Amino acid sequence: MKKNKSAMIIALAAIALAAVLPMFITNNYHLNLMIQVLINIIIVVGLNFITGLTGQMNLGTAGIFSMGAYTSSLLATKLGLNPWICLVAAVGMGCLIGMGLGYPSLRVSGVYLALTTIGFSEIVRILMTNLTGLTGGALGVTGIPTFSIFGFKFQSNKEIYYLYLVIAVLLIFNAYRIVNSKWGRSFLAVKDNPDAVEAGGVNIANIKIMAFTLAAIYATIAGSLYSHYVGFINPSAYNLEFSINYVVMLVIGGIGSVPGNVLGAILVTLVPEFLRFMENYYWLVFSIITLLFVIFLPNGIVSLFRVKKTAEKAVKGGQANV
Amino acid sequence: MSDNREGKSVLTLKNVTKRFSGLVAVNDLSLDMKERTIHALIGPNGAGKSTAINMITGLLPLTEGEIYHEGTKISGMSAHQIAQTRCSRTFQNLKLYRSMTVKENLMMGSMMDMKQGFFPFMFNFGAAAREEKLIQEKADSILEFIGLKDLADEYPANMPYGKQKLTELARSLMSDPKLLFLDEPAAGLNPSERVEFVNIMLKVFDSGIDIFLIEHNMDVIMNISDYITVISFGAKIAEGTPEEIQQDPVVIKAYLGDRYKQNMARGAAHA
Repeated sequence: MKKNKSAMIIALAAIALAAVLPMFITNNYHLNLMIQVLINIIIVVGLNFITGLTGQMNLGTAGIFSMGAYTSSLLATKLGLNPWICLVAAVGMGCLIGMGLGYPSLRVSGVYLALTTIGFSEIVRILMTNLTGLTGGALGVTGIPTFSIFGFKFQSNKEIYYLYLVIAVLLIFNAYRIVNSKWGRSFLAVKDNPDAVEAGGVNIANIKIMAFTLAAIYATIAGSLYSHYVGFINPSAYNLEFSINYVVMLVIGGIGSVPGNVLGAILVTLVPEFLRFMENYYWLVFSIITLLFVIFLPNGIVSLFRVKKTAEKAVKGGQANV
Repeated sequence: MSDNREGKSVLTLKNVTKRFSGLVAVNDLSLDMKERTIHALIGPNGAGKSTAINMITGLLPLTEGEIYHEGTKISGMSAHQIAQTRCSRTFQNLKLYRSMTVKENLMMGSMMDMKQGFFPFMFNFGAAAREEKLIQEKADSILEFIGLKDLADEYPANMPYGKQKLTELARSLMSDPKLLFLDEPAAGLNPSERVEFVNIMLKVFDSGIDIFLIEHNMDVIMNISDYITVISFGAKIAEGTPEEIQQDPVVIKAYLGDRYKQNMARGAAHA
């Protein structure tokens, strides 16, 4: 109970901060970065279900994200559908991809699964580059409309930021509930000991597919939001580096923890921007920082807070003994 | 050795065979376990005991034969389906969830009875919270029953081996089993832990759960089991009550050894 309360206070403070921040930011590029942060948070929180909790390496984020983006933007530009309907279609696409990608994860694991997801992602990218008639090829899709509610069009960065903030908060809250429920426990249990899960009367196939589907839905939603924000997409960005970037966010923030995911997404999106003054060296420095994190904080930034907690407990216990 | 036991069969193995390519791990094993008994499966190392239990609980497919649980054919079902017929088990090498606390381990044991689907979960917060609370209370009561209440929030890795074994037993009780399989429950326990474990095992049996166990420790076996099946090199060599098994020359030769007979004689002399 006590833990829940303090978690809620921290969450509300974070939301308040996120809501107030744009009022002090006038630079459009900075607002753009903040929207990018929100989109990345959604992806990482989703990736946490499958790679963080269930322990199935998914390096296909680029493919899933771009499928969401293309589904949404093609429906909007070719059929003229309302962006909200396109978003729902992207969710449907997420379900399909999740089940399709979840199925091989029942047969293969580890490196083989990682390669399967990379393969999927590359196929998506190559198709999008070459199905010129449908996807516009390397030039991509342009003129994607933004969201609107009851005639109000979200157009400026600030308006879009607030809309996406609401969506992100809802998705984060939903993810937090899932992680701290029987579903989250089942995901973790599959990572820890699949035999024991089966012996407990639970079909691990269902659990794995569910985790994959959730991850895919989060990524396709992010893809849809991205495309309706930027207004144009093309396939060149959705390569392996794109996917790995999200795994880095997951690891740096903290595998398995939703607050950790959020922190990781914020840091990994923003830190390279702060390092830009180093010009050619900034990517090198960032890579070194990542490496140090993996070695010295394998459980991510959130583990810093956890360590403090157990240390406190130990001190208290010690005093009790005296 | 004639089988003149009465009562309903809860577990029946009919001519069960397991071959790993060339190796015959279990050969034409038949046995019949009666309701309200503790049935033990014993035999030398490599006799195929764990293989047998893994086949019964569905972790390994059978090569030949059939297995019934209370008249339902369970051979050919997958492990989770067999568990849903209220067969629960522990493992020889503990299979706990190491990134979860003891209580969360237990709660995971009830997952199959938490029926709320994913969409109701997303929107009906109240029902989800009630279901979670119900399982928490159940976990608390089982922790109390097993005597692990103080360790509810501990992680398995921080606990002694005996407590970890109890945690696994407690987790298996969370699924309301009618039949419980214990794979070497006393292995690796020190004498006092062993006594504790046996007492809890008897308490579990008294609460209405039939127990099928594999064990090496003869004190445990001879004291608590009602009926024993002995296998060697995958085949059944004897079957009977503990008294019958202790006298059986084939069992003494294959497994118990002459020393055991001498110790028995000495014990009898002391008595």
